[in-house]
Amino acid sequence: MDFGGFSLQKAYKYSLLYFLLFSFLLLISSILLFEQKIGFSVEAVLTYYNGNEAQFIPSKSSAGILKIILPHIFGFGIFFMVLLHFLLFTKLRSSKKLKFLIFTTFIVAFLELFSPFLMIAGVTFFASVKLFSFVLLELLMLYLFWLLVKAIVYE
Amino acid sequence: MKNILQFLLFFILLYLTANLLVKAFSFGLTLDSVALTLFGSEENFIDPLSQASFLEYIHTEIFFIMMVSFTLSAVYIRVATKKLINAPLVSLLMLSGLSSILMLGLAYFVTPKAIVFYLGSFYLWNFLLAYMTLYGLWRLFFAKSL
Repeated sequence: MDFGGFSLQKAYKYSLLYFLLFSFLLLISSILLFEQKIGFSVEAVLTYYNGNEAQFIPSKSSAGILKIILPHIFGFGIFFMVLLHFLLFTKLRSSKKLKFLIFTTFIVAFLELFSPFLMIAGVTFFASVKLFSFVLLELLMLYLFWLLVKAIVYE
Repeated sequence: MKNILQFLLFFILLYLTANLLVKAFSFGLTLDSVALTLFGSEENFIDPLSQASFLEYIHTEIFFIMMVSFTLSAVYIRVATKKLINAPLVSLLMLSGLSSILMLGLAYFVTPKAIVFYLGSFYLWNFLLAYMTLYGLWRLFFAKSL
């Protein structure tokens, strides 16, 4: 469909590129926020959630964690749905790779959101899970951005 | 589908109004009020915004500006007529949104002078958002064919 030399498909491609730029800023701000509030080490994650008496840091409560993750549950769901559904318009459509990416992204996002509950329940191993899932989620996002930019430019 | 899009645009209009009101009452919509929020004032015993709070604020702003701009662009591209469906308008909306985020970051971390550019971008983004939403609504209500 052509609209005075500017196709509908091209218009959507433009807005998708801008969407990816915004998403990249979102990713940067989430890394800065994680570094500022929690820190990129297992000890720092444990201290943030379970507290530290020596440093006068109180532990987080379930209600406190729920308050933080509540907007993120909706945000993650809608954001990854939007991001992943664009891949359905690429060559990856109905491929096993896309299915793998969809499942991995949502499962990792789930772990990133809910691992703090197990941490405060005493399972300290989940500090590693939280850190690993956060890093993996950021890397997955970067990979999804790359796949989409590649599709916009070459397909 | 038409009714869904009408309500979506109506809700974007509500968001735009609420966002402006919230900003006016909390963050500020003038040079002085934004500077006061970001850097505080010793004379008035107002604390500056902490780095963690600023990052939280900007993180939320990025998400909302991104989702609203993208959703509106998708609807606008669909309903606009030949003349008005153009890359510059969609680009301007997105770029003003991006610029408002970047300039706010620049104002907080580098130079307070960037507040002028932040406010300029912020008002431009809101103006374009209002125009595109109202135009979309007008098309959805009165256009004979879409």
